[in-house]
Amino acid sequence: MDEPVITAEEVFFSYDGVPVIENASFSVAEREFLAIIGPNGSGKSTLVKLMLGLLRPDSGKIRVFGEPPRKISHCFGYVPQDVAINRSFPISVIDVVLMGRLRYRGSSRIRDRDREAAAASLEQMGMAGYENRKIDDLSGGQRERVFIARALTTDPDILILDEPTASVDTGGQAELYSLLQELNRTKTIIIVSHDLMVMSSSVTAVACVNRQVYYHDQGEITQDMLDMGYQCPVELIAHGQPHRILKTHEDES
Amino acid sequence: MIEALQFEFMRNALFAGLFASLICGVIGTFVVVNRLVFLTGGIAHAAYGGIGAALFFGIPYIFGTLGFSLGAALIMTAVTMKTPERSDTFIGVLWAVGMAIGVILIDLTPGYNVDLMSYLFGSILAVPAGDIWWMTGMGAVTLAVTIYFYRDMIAISYDVEFARLRGVPVDILYFLFMALVAVSIVFIIRVVGLILVIALLSIPPYIAEKYAKSLGAMMVIAVILSAVFNIAGLWVAYMLDLTSGASIILVAAAGFFISLAIDLLISRRRKRAAARSRTENSPACGCGL
Repeated sequence: MDEPVITAEEVFFSYDGVPVIENASFSVAEREFLAIIGPNGSGKSTLVKLMLGLLRPDSGKIRVFGEPPRKISHCFGYVPQDVAINRSFPISVIDVVLMGRLRYRGSSRIRDRDREAAAASLEQMGMAGYENRKIDDLSGGQRERVFIARALTTDPDILILDEPTASVDTGGQAELYSLLQELNRTKTIIIVSHDLMVMSSSVTAVACVNRQVYYHDQGEITQDMLDMGYQCPVELIAHGQPHRILKTHEDES
Repeated sequence: MIEALQFEFMRNALFAGLFASLICGVIGTFVVVNRLVFLTGGIAHAAYGGIGAALFFGIPYIFGTLGFSLGAALIMTAVTMKTPERSDTFIGVLWAVGMAIGVILIDLTPGYNVDLMSYLFGSILAVPAGDIWWMTGMGAVTLAVTIYFYRDMIAISYDVEFARLRGVPVDILYFLFMALVAVSIVFIIRVVGLILVIALLSIPPYIAEKYAKSLGAMMVIAVILSAVFNIAGLWVAYMLDLTSGASIILVAAAGFFISLAIDLLISRRRKRAAARSRTENSPACGCGL
């Protein structure tokens, strides 16, 4: 059995006295494809920021490769929510991606090989040729690809995406998932979504978050998990098979 | 204008305006993209306390204002980091406290009566040559720090969490940039007054942001715009015999409103073009007209 890459032990976190995460304990195995799901405001993004070390737990312990997350934050490739980004900021696509090479292997300067790596990531995301476009002029889906390219440029062991499909159409989502599946061969992938549609056969574990974290190391959603506080999303009703929603969706396509 | 330059005070005013433009364009870009205009206003006003303190304790003016503006910058930055939601209230309080301390200390100092107007609007026509050297030095430091930390500045301003994950020393750099803002303000206030500082820090970068594709381009455009406003303002003041600081501000403000009007025209034209292409391309009608 592989060593877990991320472990959480009895983690509590609150904002201004309001509990957001309560007693979360779980461990994420290497090369897991983890989907974090839960209704809006359930603490999904907070959980991710705790894992990244951007927030510190009130109590409890989070370890990444056995270290406090802050110490090895460079192991993460992080794709934040689109809305969290400073809009109307004058910045070109290539400058956004080059942020991924800041302090890369301790170097504080951007060199030619960093530019090459950035261009390669853009190419991989199908965004070659957009280097000098202003990021604000792109569509939501294109921006998302640029942010993923930025995360890939850091050459991460763990890729974390916070609601990456929010501004991507269905065709783009399928493409995104096949790319993530490819990356999953070498990287642990954690994806946050309030939308169950995102799930695919590539998901190997599911964490349901609603203040508490219910971790299931199987890539499907069961009625138990839904009963534990998840508000039944529209897609479930539409497909009519709440127990096997993911499989159903896969078979159709 | 050319004949005006034979006067040394006019030449000094021009140089002072150009150096202020350089510093304000670069620093102001950082201030505007990070939405720190209010915080910067707070630092500038709190510096007034330093004028009072300098008079009261009989220390050189520059130490008093530097002390107050740096102190205010550090406290305000710390509070903004700790509780970003309510930091504006705190900044407003420090803003007022700084000025009140200045006024009280001047009251308590016998025999002094400082003209508040010259502090607010400066006296660009009375800039001594020595101050120009100070501003040159400050401009060089500002440029050097900005160029050296350019990529970090982009990362911190655009996506601070990502910068933190990459191991950029976000907090230290944030304090460094704010200290730079505070020191720049002190040197520029001495020359052009604090209202002109805030106008030059905010208006040119605001206009530049809309046309720039990168932070660096935004800085360059802001510096150029700022220089144009300064020269035009000085020229208006000279021709019409008006107060120079206020003239420069009004010229900059005119630029600000013209840029808003241009935005409006462009967005209207785009909407009309979009509407036209919709009707041209739509086969919905089919009546042959």
